Amino acid sequence: MMNTVLYQGLVGISLAMYLWLISAGLTIIFGVLGVLNFAHGSLFMLGAYIAYTLYGMVGLPFGAAVLLSLAVVGAVGFAMERFFLRPLYHVDEAYQLLLTFGFVLVLDDAVKILWGGVFKIPPIPAFLDGAWRVFGRPFPVYNVFLITVGLLVGVVLWFLFERTWWGRIVRATASDREMAAALGVHVPRVFSSVFVFGAMLAALGGALGTPVRVVAPGIGSAMIIQAFIITVIGGLGNLKGAFVGSLIVGVLSAYGTLFFPVFELFFIFVIMAVVLLVRPQGLFGATR
Amino acid sequence: MRRMRWTWAPLGGTVLLLLLFSQAFSAPPQCQLGVPAIKLGVQGVASGPHADYGRQIQMGATMAIEEINAKGGILGCRLEMRFMDDENRPATGVRNARLLVTEYGAHFLYGTDSSGVAMALGPVLKELNRIQFFTHAATHRLTEELVAQQGIKQIVRVSAPVYQDAIAAWVFKDNPAIRRWATIGADYEYGYAVWGLFRETLRKFRPDVEFVGAAWAPFLTTDFTPHISAVMAQNPDAIIATPWAGEAVTLLRQAVLMGVFDKIQVWFQAMGGSVDVLEGIAREVQDGRFKGKLWATARYIHNWPNTQTNRAFVERFQKRWSRLPNYSAETTYSAIYITKAAVEKARSLETDKVLAALRGMQIVTPAGLRVFREEDHQFVYTVPAGRVVWSERYNMPVLGDLRIFDPKDYWRWPPFTPIPMGK
Repeated sequence: MMNTVLYQGLVGISLAMYLWLISAGLTIIFGVLGVLNFAHGSLFMLGAYIAYTLYGMVGLPFGAAVLLSLAVVGAVGFAMERFFLRPLYHVDEAYQLLLTFGFVLVLDDAVKILWGGVFKIPPIPAFLDGAWRVFGRPFPVYNVFLITVGLLVGVVLWFLFERTWWGRIVRATASDREMAAALGVHVPRVFSSVFVFGAMLAALGGALGTPVRVVAPGIGSAMIIQAFIITVIGGLGNLKGAFVGSLIVGVLSAYGTLFFPVFELFFIFVIMAVVLLVRPQGLFGATR
Repeated sequence: MRRMRWTWAPLGGTVLLLLLFSQAFSAPPQCQLGVPAIKLGVQGVASGPHADYGRQIQMGATMAIEEINAKGGILGCRLEMRFMDDENRPATGVRNARLLVTEYGAHFLYGTDSSGVAMALGPVLKELNRIQFFTHAATHRLTEELVAQQGIKQIVRVSAPVYQDAIAAWVFKDNPAIRRWATIGADYEYGYAVWGLFRETLRKFRPDVEFVGAAWAPFLTTDFTPHISAVMAQNPDAIIATPWAGEAVTLLRQAVLMGVFDKIQVWFQAMGGSVDVLEGIAREVQDGRFKGKLWATARYIHNWPNTQTNRAFVERFQKRWSRLPNYSAETTYSAIYITKAAVEKARSLETDKVLAALRGMQIVTPAGLRVFREEDHQFVYTVPAGRVVWSERYNMPVLGDLRIFDPKDYWRWPPFTPIPMGK
């Protein structure tokens, strides 16, 4: 029994690390720009399609395909922020929400036109195929890889935001954009770089999912709901909150499936509701 | 000048007569039903991981319409079609049905992939008084409850319902080594219905079997590892799984990575005989990674029955679309030919007259003989189950080692008693 519980926990952690990749970008963009980016799931989907095209169709190595998909989606993110979002920073937030929702529809239809409506299935790269024996059962190498990448991304993000000049500028801008501007920070440039960075994290999630998940129009919709739940639990705009929120959702989903299969979905929403009731700003969110 | 005009007159008259004759013989026959065209409203999933089913519904409908129109239509009336994406959402399906009838003017409706969408459509069809030929949605409640009990006569189902998925009980009931069954179910109407019916059927034959675990995956699940892991913790001998389309492919590939096929004896993927699923797991099948333990069925498989009608259909379909027909294509194609037969008999587009014409109908279709069951408006026909094997002929996996049962045995028959359903 103990092995079963530990194994399911490990499965939950791998799910959590995947969700973390997606929710990290969402929460960074909200924390700095104050924009709740509905199109984050669509950028995730775009990352998956581009990685599929480069790896599954063109035949590039998986790693190269992932990196190139980050670059392409980063460019799309730059265009979204520079030419569409930026003119709306001075108007009501509802317009930004509407705009990003509009992008969901546009990008969903764009992938249908470009890649068709039928799902795509790239092969699994040889280095991710197979399983290791963990707690007496085979645990996929792919899931080990996801856990590693998730933790690595966590360390890189911590380093970037806490230990680099760019991180300090971003934190200063997030804290008080007028003061940052008065001190000579080029705020629009910071906004662009943060949005591009968030878009690339979404693409990373999409691209890394391709070896075991089908790529299809609308795959971002399910991910964005989970990412929103995570950011609400952790605190909107808080990176540490997104990490802990991902762990809560991932691990509890896995245990819910094992112990309470009838209520598994309900379980996650109950946790979100309890957090909102007890601590409306989320576990790590600051009161605004 | 006057004389010359008279000289040309007989020639002009002859030309005019010839023109009139040629018109009489070459013009399309007048529609005998008094409408400019018979309008068919079709809907299915056209986006997301299930999108191929909507696409196949559209391809099947288009091919039937092209064939029928090329032969003069139905009683001289051309067929027209409008296809809409129901997005697998009940609200969208209901909105589409209303639009197709009230705005487009559809005389008949077709399609619908999800059982959840189908159940939402039932009462709306009664209100609109339009017949919908369901060509995929599988819950038994659609016909047993909405038609046989509640009397929503506008529902007609051409595709096999969940009785087909529960064929797994018949295939494995005589294997004493398989005692412990678990499910990884689609977390909605269809998944609950299959698990309920499967358990009910198997218990009748094998009081010794145990149903040891169930994990439920909602639509758009992309990571099934918690579900696979939870079910495998119960050490099942066999698993019956109901996620379908792209989700079935994702589930099966993740199960391979988790070493499931080293441990279990049988995995029955209910609609795994669907072309898109077979294409999706082609690499794994070719590499033998399911170890011959993967079984499936569908609502039609292109390699059975071995009849001239089916072979010709598959050949025409491949020529037209460069793909093999999935079951949703065959069922929709056949539904339109069923409409043709009924309308020609009724000589009317009125719901009651067309329904009357369906009574007693037996019609040869690519899937074989379909027989209309009056009590619940369900067409009865046979589809085998089989082991997923690699086919050199089709250069993709197909169902082989086929197990064929008479629907008299494995389908449910009226009077219907409720199946204990739920998670």
